[in-house]
Amino acid sequence: MIERLPLLFGIAIRHISRRRRQTVVAVSGVAVGVGFFLAVSAMMIGSQNDFIKTLIDAAPHIIISDELRSPPPQPGFRVFPDSAVVLRNYKVRNEVRGLRNWPAIMRAVNAEPGAIASPSLSGAVTLHLSGREEALNIIGIEPGIETKVSTIEDKLRIGHLRDLETVQGGIIIGEEMAQRLGIGMGDIVSATSGAGTTRSLRIVGLFKRGQSQLGPTSGYVLLREAQSMLGRPFIINRIGVKLADPYQAQDIGRRLEARFAYKAESWQERSADFLSLLVTRNVIMYSVVSAILLVASFGIYTVVSNSVADKRRDIAIMRSIGFSEGDLQIVFVAEGIVLAVAGVLAGWLLGYGLMQILGSLEFPIVGESEHLPLDRGPRQYAIAASASLFAGAIAAWLPARKAARVDPVDILRGAV
Amino acid sequence: MTAALEAQALVRILPGDPPITLVNDASLTVEPGTFTAIVGPSGCGKSSLLYLLGLIDRPTSGKLLLNGSEVSDQDGDARARLRLEHFGFVFQFHFLLPEFSALENVALPIRRLGRLDHAGAEQRALDLLKSMGLEGKASKTPDRMSGGERQRVAIARALANDPVLVLGDEPTGNLDSQNSARVVELFKDLAHQQGRAVVCVTHDLEVAAQADVRVSMLDGRIVDIARN
Repeated sequence: MIERLPLLFGIAIRHISRRRRQTVVAVSGVAVGVGFFLAVSAMMIGSQNDFIKTLIDAAPHIIISDELRSPPPQPGFRVFPDSAVVLRNYKVRNEVRGLRNWPAIMRAVNAEPGAIASPSLSGAVTLHLSGREEALNIIGIEPGIETKVSTIEDKLRIGHLRDLETVQGGIIIGEEMAQRLGIGMGDIVSATSGAGTTRSLRIVGLFKRGQSQLGPTSGYVLLREAQSMLGRPFIINRIGVKLADPYQAQDIGRRLEARFAYKAESWQERSADFLSLLVTRNVIMYSVVSAILLVASFGIYTVVSNSVADKRRDIAIMRSIGFSEGDLQIVFVAEGIVLAVAGVLAGWLLGYGLMQILGSLEFPIVGESEHLPLDRGPRQYAIAASASLFAGAIAAWLPARKAARVDPVDILRGAV
Repeated sequence: MTAALEAQALVRILPGDPPITLVNDASLTVEPGTFTAIVGPSGCGKSSLLYLLGLIDRPTSGKLLLNGSEVSDQDGDARARLRLEHFGFVFQFHFLLPEFSALENVALPIRRLGRLDHAGAEQRALDLLKSMGLEGKASKTPDRMSGGERQRVAIARALANDPVLVLGDEPTGNLDSQNSARVVELFKDLAHQQGRAVVCVTHDLEVAAQADVRVSMLDGRIVDIARN
């Protein structure tokens, strides 16, 4: 059959080349469908990828905190796991919060290929300045490690994380907090913790505004400074983990949690609501663009259907000289495929042009000029092409079946 | 000698209310090297019999033997293949494909059969057009040719795959007397010089008079078979 295809496609091309106006309309329909599919999906997927990248980069890929997913089992069950005894009114020991045996957890994380673990301790303090008080969540970090794990450094308007190591009592806060307190770089502010310790802290850096992931009421200090101020020496309550492949976060998090019992939350788990929203968004997008492509295929159906109606005599002639029903079906399906291919090629050009225009647009966001994030990968081109070719082939197949069923005798008898 | 085509009690009834009998109990033997004319009044079933003989239509009952083998029970694809290999058709209206040149029209059945490559098919088509005196018209589309030229292109196309049987349905019906005479001469030549079996439906008694065998039909039945 393959050796017959050039002949049958040649006949199909000859048919549609004689119907220029209808061909142009059908090809334009597919081209517009494909072009807008590419432009819309480039924007949607581009923004989705950008959003996911922001989600991934905003915080460590895994956060191990001093929390447990479920309360620890009763002491009786720990000693006699298969017993039917329930102890009541026992006194629970008040455990010190923090990750126990955290150096072992750090070692286990760092043993994972490409993984980096950054320890931190957070706690609440109150900032005092000229009779004003502001609550602040201080996070004690090791700047040298933290810069490898998070993107905090990129979000600083002024200063560097490393400055925490070089300036005694250094602190980095957000621009909003600094504005509320009326302080700036190099100014000193007094901080009191819940443990009653009061320190003078010097501003060594300011976060940019609008960093929702960092929070306007967070501030970064050196880890040992936080431990000292919060009265929790040698204790940490969080380990941030960065992985070489962020998509391994769920698996590795599960393994760490199973081993150390502490809650190891992956970025996917933290962002589950956003990720499910993206799925819904994608379903809507693909439904809309599928409808566009489907409508475009109606154009192909019309052209092929008219072709079958106009070519009934030619169909009878070809049947009488030895073309089979299958041959005729291929001729008319080929017409649809040729129209779809032409439409896809034109649509690719249109889509590329639209993406160039969209990519050149600038949008001012929080004082900075931003471009639309666009996904220009070949995947969307392939999806648009295969969907259009499939729709075109189906749209042509319906009238092609009719063509194959034409009884040549009826036509030859009634021919004039 | 084995008959090129043998019809045994062919019947063709169009279903309906009432059913219409197009061909009734038609038996006929077509020998190679003979020019057979089927004659009769309009609506007597001449063309219907020709379509049955050419495997374009299926008989309601009866048998059809091609070179001694029964072919009336073949499926659609097999019948299409037999038409391609063994039959050449010429109709009253040239029935050329309008988008294709004379050369392409003649090459079409050759390319479909697939025994020659594209260049070989075009060369054979050109040779056939030359034999019809149409070498200068090879690149012309049917709308740029006269009626006689178109009919000769149609004859060239009928001969494209060197068929044993050439069937004509009023092939001179739309031609002037000069072109008509030329076509009849061609048909006689196909039968007598090239040894093909030529069967031609005609209402033109002058054409029928030049045939070797004259088959007369009336009301779907063969009423007489006479040798000229």
